[in-house]
Amino acid sequence: MAAVLGISGLYHDAAAALVVDGRVVAAMHEERLDRVKHSAALPERAARACLAMAGIDAKALDAVVFYEEPFAKFERLLGWLVQTFPRAPSYFARSLRQQLAKKLWVLDELSETLGVPRSKVSSREHHLCHAASAFFVSPFEEAAVLTVDGVGEHTTTAIWQGRGATLERRFSLEFPHSLGLFYAAITAYTGFEVLDGELKLMALAAHGTPRYVGELSRVLHLGADGDFALDARYFDAFTDTELGFGAELERLLGPARPANVPWDLARSPDDRRYADIARSAQVLTEEALLGLARRARREVAADALCLAGGVALNCTATARLAAEAGFSRVFVQPAAGDAGGALGAAILRALELGDPRPAPLGSPALGQAIDAGAGADLAERLGLGVSRPPRPFERAAEILARGGLVALATGRGEWGPRALGFRSLLARADDTGVRDAVNRRVKGRESFRPFAPSVLEANADALFHHVGADMTPFMTTVCRPRESALGELSGVVHVDGTSRLHSVSKERAPALAELLAEYERSTGRRALLDTSLNGAGEPIAGSENDAVAFFATHRAVDALLLDDVLVERRPR
Amino acid sequence: MTDFALRVLRRARTSLALFGYFLKPDRFFLVPLVVVVLLAGALLAASAGLSRVAPFVYTLF
Repeated sequence: MAAVLGISGLYHDAAAALVVDGRVVAAMHEERLDRVKHSAALPERAARACLAMAGIDAKALDAVVFYEEPFAKFERLLGWLVQTFPRAPSYFARSLRQQLAKKLWVLDELSETLGVPRSKVSSREHHLCHAASAFFVSPFEEAAVLTVDGVGEHTTTAIWQGRGATLERRFSLEFPHSLGLFYAAITAYTGFEVLDGELKLMALAAHGTPRYVGELSRVLHLGADGDFALDARYFDAFTDTELGFGAELERLLGPARPANVPWDLARSPDDRRYADIARSAQVLTEEALLGLARRARREVAADALCLAGGVALNCTATARLAAEAGFSRVFVQPAAGDAGGALGAAILRALELGDPRPAPLGSPALGQAIDAGAGADLAERLGLGVSRPPRPFERAAEILARGGLVALATGRGEWGPRALGFRSLLARADDTGVRDAVNRRVKGRESFRPFAPSVLEANADALFHHVGADMTPFMTTVCRPRESALGELSGVVHVDGTSRLHSVSKERAPALAELLAEYERSTGRRALLDTSLNGAGEPIAGSENDAVAFFATHRAVDALLLDDVLVERRPR
Repeated sequence: MTDFALRVLRRARTSLALFGYFLKPDRFFLVPLVVVVLLAGALLAASAGLSRVAPFVYTLF
C-alpha cells in the first residue's frame, strides 16, 4: 500500500495528483492556486494542497513521479539542433536556457521542494502517463487507448492496448509529425494564443465551410492505416518560434490574422476566411483521428476506446469517434491535457508498487474544498448580503427563472478545464438574450463561442441524442439536441447544431443536481447554461475567496451560492 | 553539509546520469554537444553569481 504523488509542470497546465492505496484521493491544477491561467510552474502549491486534502505529510510519500522523462526530452532537442543547424538559433537558445535552468534538474527540484528523498523521485514517459490517466480511471477492463498531443519526449501519437492493470504500446508516431502541432500552428495563424486558443479555434470552425481542406492537405498528409505526416516547410516551430507557423503557410493560405483584433464574422470577409480555414483544419484533424481510431480498433481487440492528450479535448472530434470509429463506448477523462499526466504518472507508480488499479472515475471533484464560513465572513466584510436560507436551491432557482445569473461554488473543485457543477456560473438555457448577457457582461469571450448545458442524467435522453454517455458527465464530447427540445436549449446550442452536454447525477455533482431538480420543479425547464466561474482571462475560481471576489467584481451576477450560504447584493 | 552543497551534489549526480544516458550507441554522437552545453550552462550559472568571473566568460563567447 503506497502514497504516490504525480506531478506535471514546467510547460503548461501544471498539476498534482495523489493516489493512496490505489485510490485517487486528490488532483489539483496549479492555476487554481497561483491564479495564473494554464500555469507553467512546478506545482508546489497544488502538491501541498493534495497532501493536505489527504492529511499526509510529504515525508510519508512512497514516491513522487514526474510526467515526462527529462533526459529523453533533452535528447530530442539536441537531435533537432543537429538536424536543423544552423537554421534554428533562437529556438535553441531559448529551449536550452529552459533545459539548463530548470527542466534537466526537475527531479532534484521536486526532491528539494517537497523534502522527499531523491531516491523516491522518478519520471515516466509522457504518452504512457497520458494513456494511464485515461485507461486506469475508465470503466473498462479492456480498451484501445489513443494518446495524441503536441509532443512528449519523442512521441506525438500512440496507440496502446489497455488490459486490467497493464498498458502495452502498439503503434506510435514521432516528432515532428504531430496533430497537436498542426492544430497549434493553425491556432497561432488565426490569431489565438497557442496552448489557450485551441478550443476557440474549434468553436470558430463551426462557423466556416471546409473549402481549404485541399490546401491544408499539403500541410498535413493523411496516410493509409492511420498514420500522417506534417510538411515541416510550413512550420517555424521547428526552426524559430515554438509551435508557430511559417511564412510558407501564409503563402499557401494568405496573411495570418493579427492577434487581439475583435472578430466580426457577419461583416468581415477576412474573418469568414479564417473561419473556413479553422473548419478545414478541424475536418482534417477529425479525419486523422478517425484513421487512428480505426487502426486502434484493428490492432487492439477491444470494444472500447479511451483517449488522452491535448487533442482529446477536441470534443467535436470525440463525438465523431464515438459515432464512426466502430467502438461501442468511448471515454475521455476531464483533464485529458497535460494536467492529466500527473494523474497517470501517480497511477503508474502505484501499480508498480503493488497497489490495485483505481476505481473508475466517479465525481470530478478532486480539488480543494471551499470553506463556506470563511467565504461568508469575507462577503460580509465586503458589504454583501449574506444569509443561510433554509432552502437555498429554491431561492437560486427563482433567480435563474427570472433570467438572473447564479454563481455556484460548492465542495471540492473540479479536475479538468471544465466547470462541472462545483465552480460554475449558471443561467437559464432557453434564452439567447441571457446567454449574450453572460458573454458581454461577465465572460468577455469571442461572440462565436458557445455555452454548454447541464441537465440531469435522467433527462439527457429526452433532450439529446445522448451518444458518448461515458463522456458527458465530464463534458468531453458534444451531442445533438432533439428537435423537440430545441426551444428549451436555444441558448446552449452551437451554430453547428451541437451542445457540449454535461449530464449531471446526484452522485457526481450533488449540489448542481439538486439545483437542476429544483429548477425543473419550479419552471418545468430541464436545462441550465453552465459556464466556468471566472472572468475574462482568469483561471477558474479555486477557493471561497476567489468565488467571493468574482461575485464582488461582476455586478451582472445576482447571487453566489457557497455551499448553503447565499450571498446577494444589498439594495442600494 | 550545507543546503547549497547538497544541491550542487545532486546536480552533479544528475549530470553524471545524463552522460550515462547518452553513452548508448544510438545517442553517442550527441555526447560532445552535451559536454559543450553543460559547460556553457555551468559557466553562465557561475558568471551570474560571481561578478569577478563574468569578464572571463565574456571573452569565451
